[in-house]
Amino acid sequence: MTIRNKFARVAVLGAFAIVGKAQIKHIEMRVEGMT
Amino acid sequence: MKQHLRRQSGVQKVEVSLLDGKVDVTPKEDGAINPAGLLKATYDSGVSVAELDMTARGKIVKDAAGGLVFQVAPNRAFALVSSDLSKGLETLAGSTTWVTIRGQLYKKPAGKKKPEASPPLKLLILEVPSKE
Repeated sequence: MTIRNKFARVAVLGAFAIVGKAQIKHIEMRVEGMT
Repeated sequence: MKQHLRRQSGVQKVEVSLLDGKVDVTPKEDGAINPAGLLKATYDSGVSVAELDMTARGKIVKDAAGGLVFQVAPNRAFALVSSDLSKGLETLAGSTTWVTIRGQLYKKPAGKKKPEASPPLKLLILEVPSKE
């Protein structure tokens, strides 16, 4: 594999890791008694 | 309260709206955020939580008892409250489909000032914005 191909492979794997990530994206609370 | 929440692990940003009592928490991408910990931290700062909603991306799996569970991290999952929306996701259990869910994790019980011993949080699905 050439250097260029290695970079391409890393980029593809990186993109897949980002796309395939499970995570909590946002939390919203409604609170009472806040001053 | 803002400082208290910001110190919780996995919290990137906290925005508080005093007018409508809304608190927005943006998690870090490290997956360390713990909604139950946020709930406790909010109570510990002297504020009562009326409701906690969460938007998350994860996979639907079944637990040992056959109940549906929403897995949002290798070490974090929430049992789904049975509803029409959760039944619609039953076929995705164990599949590779990623699901984004907006749901309610906590609602203050009517007529009680403080929750009793904190039970495990269950997710009531409000909306399923995407399935991939």
